[in-house]
Amino acid sequence: MRIRGYLVFLAGTLAALGAGWIGFPYAIYTSRPQPVDFSHKVHAEKAGAKCDDCHAFRDDGTFAGIPSLDKCAGCHTAPMGATVAEKNFIDNYVTPNREPAWDSYARQPENVFFSHITHVKLGQLKCEQCHGDQGASDKLRPYQEDRISGYSRDIWGRTPFEGAGAGAVPGMKMDDCVDCHHKHGLSHSCLDCHK
Amino acid sequence: MQRTRRDILLFMGGGAAGAVLTPAPWRLVTDAALWSENWPGVPRPARGEITARYTNCALCPAGCAVRARCVSGQPVSLAGVPSHPLSQGALCAFGLTGHHLPYHPQRLTHGPVEEAAAAVSAAMAKRGPGESVAVLDLRPGRSASWTYRRSMAAVNNGLYLAPPRPLGGAAVDLAKARIVLSLGAALLDGWGTPGNVHAARANFHLIQAEPWQSPTAALADQWLPIRPGSEPALALALANVLNDPKTALSEAAEATGLTDKQIVELAHELVRNGPALVLSADDLPEALALNQALGAWGRTLVARAEAPVPEPWKKAAPERAVASVPDASIRVLFIDESVPGDHIPWSAIERKLVRDNPVVVTFAWSRQGYGRHAQFALPTAVYPELTADIPPAIDSPSAAFRLSASLMAPPAGMVDASAFIAKAAGIDAANALQQRADAIHKSGQGTLFTCADAKSTPLKDVKPADFWKALNEGACWQSGAGDSPAHSVGRAGAPTAFVGPPAFLSSPQQSTAFPLVVAFSGPHAMSLASPLMSKLYQDSDLRLAPNTAALHPDTARAAGIAGDSRALLETPFGRCPIAVVPDSSVPPGMLEVAPGPEVLDICGADTRAKVVAA
Repeated sequence: MRIRGYLVFLAGTLAALGAGWIGFPYAIYTSRPQPVDFSHKVHAEKAGAKCDDCHAFRDDGTFAGIPSLDKCAGCHTAPMGATVAEKNFIDNYVTPNREPAWDSYARQPENVFFSHITHVKLGQLKCEQCHGDQGASDKLRPYQEDRISGYSRDIWGRTPFEGAGAGAVPGMKMDDCVDCHHKHGLSHSCLDCHK
Repeated sequence: MQRTRRDILLFMGGGAAGAVLTPAPWRLVTDAALWSENWPGVPRPARGEITARYTNCALCPAGCAVRARCVSGQPVSLAGVPSHPLSQGALCAFGLTGHHLPYHPQRLTHGPVEEAAAAVSAAMAKRGPGESVAVLDLRPGRSASWTYRRSMAAVNNGLYLAPPRPLGGAAVDLAKARIVLSLGAALLDGWGTPGNVHAARANFHLIQAEPWQSPTAALADQWLPIRPGSEPALALALANVLNDPKTALSEAAEATGLTDKQIVELAHELVRNGPALVLSADDLPEALALNQALGAWGRTLVARAEAPVPEPWKKAAPERAVASVPDASIRVLFIDESVPGDHIPWSAIERKLVRDNPVVVTFAWSRQGYGRHAQFALPTAVYPELTADIPPAIDSPSAAFRLSASLMAPPAGMVDASAFIAKAAGIDAANALQQRADAIHKSGQGTLFTCADAKSTPLKDVKPADFWKALNEGACWQSGAGDSPAHSVGRAGAPTAFVGPPAFLSSPQQSTAFPLVVAFSGPHAMSLASPLMSKLYQDSDLRLAPNTAALHPDTARAAGIAGDSRALLETPFGRCPIAVVPDSSVPPGMLEVAPGPEVLDICGADTRAKVVAA
């Protein structure tokens, strides 16, 4: 009788551990596709584009982030190729002059100061160190958002089993920032990065 | 095997123990905390391109030039414009936080526009003989003011009213002054154009004659503590010494608390170290007379010049003081308080209204001002949404024209006061600002300062379209030293002679009934302050909160008030509840009061008061 009691207790523990470690990290996120089926790889390989051709710094040093439709329309005034994705992009966005509602994987929350130019120009970091090898991706992965906090999975909520799954892009969670600053001997008081 | 209640409890217990060893509960806690930072209502800063735009601050007549840092077109921080000829790069604390104002919680967002227009036209139609329509303009000298004056000229019995201006509306040339006697003027604490005052400060000796050690008194070269309310007596005594060195000074010495010798030495110092200038907090004729005796007129004190106006505009109603209007004679009153200006107690205005159903329409950003007493309070755009010109400040001896150019679109439903009044009067006032700019350009005089490149260009070298464009980008036109016919306005002219004894000496009854002299701890107006800033300075007691008064403990004791408490403030205009704070730095016989809506209703300039226990 006593052994049976231990087994039931252990079953409850194992069920919770499974749910907490395996089910929860997936259940906490909601997922949605990006509005346009975009291939970094095609743009890099066929058009010879570099990261900063589209993700540029403005003259005042601020980072423009995701390019606006004007930038895309500079080349895509007419369909470039016969793919379905290209046709959808032209018909749904370029022709009606409608900005795609991109979801930014990397957007930091409002309580964070982050300066791209400091890290790229002064710190000499490569884009891949934080964003992963996005330039080689052929498809945009779905955007995953924390159901409660509303944060992108890329910037918040690392769990030990997230090494290879979706949202495993290195370098954009707070722990990554702290690790990198530690490694480079930089101070890391809260107010360096947080408002 | 049969499941029992014990099994279920054991399973749940095991589940709870296991859950603690997973990230789930800890993550839920942190996520909930993050969610609380992002719930609806928390303002989200704009993201996007960062640009700089230029305008001029409309919060006071100084009209300091402003460089706005905008993100995605939305202003997020404001700063001064270095090397600007008028404001010299400075911006006061109110100006630095001006971009918060569109989000002010007390903002008026809608109003009965159609109903107001109908009531106005009905009241204008049924006016009896001798009944008038009036506009009270709290900041005269703007192009909108000209629209009001033209509107009132077009209406039978139309009146254009404005508050009295310090020094009779004259302008001050601080750069030429070498010694300044300030009779309670807050010269270093918000008077004139802060940047201009501080730029000129090194070149003049400042004597502050004032009962209490105000911020200006603390920063002055010399502080003369005089008895509360004795500023006119001191000015009169000094003028008399200059006119007749043998004049008797015992009465003045008694009134001011200074010795005969001190008064004579002060008079000699003003003459010896001139050019001198005398400033006063209020419109004191004694200060003008003293300036005349010192030969300040034409040197440090000049007639205020105004930028040229189109010729047809000059058929306009004259500026009048509220006090000059017969009681119970105004049927329709418009009050423009869309931009802060000098204040007149409501009770002084109310007595000018007809007794049966007068129509009062205010144009305001909030209901905190005259809107509390009006039938119709119509919402207006607030700085930095509005586009309006700013008249030259008191310390601008030359004519100037600059726009407070809109940095962001006003919300729907805002009313343009000048368009409303012009329509009621049946005149066309569309494009008044551009017509004014054209008239200035036609004069071909003066220079244009552009903020982005900090360059001054002679106006004759600027095309009309470029001039208008530059004005909308914060540029400033200024008349030159030799330019003639900048249009002189206001009541100022060289004063003829001293007209009578100071009011305080001539009304002993008032002195007895209301023994305390009122000094305001801030601008004598409904100021537009960022709610964030007012919270900071009020919570930290840096300044008194509105409708709060500081009294010397002895004065408070004499009035039967002990410690921090509520009391009633009484003036000849009425009474209102206030909070009283004992403060030994306030001299006995004086009341330092923070302007608030209720206090301003009953306190005008140069008011005396008493405080009674509530």
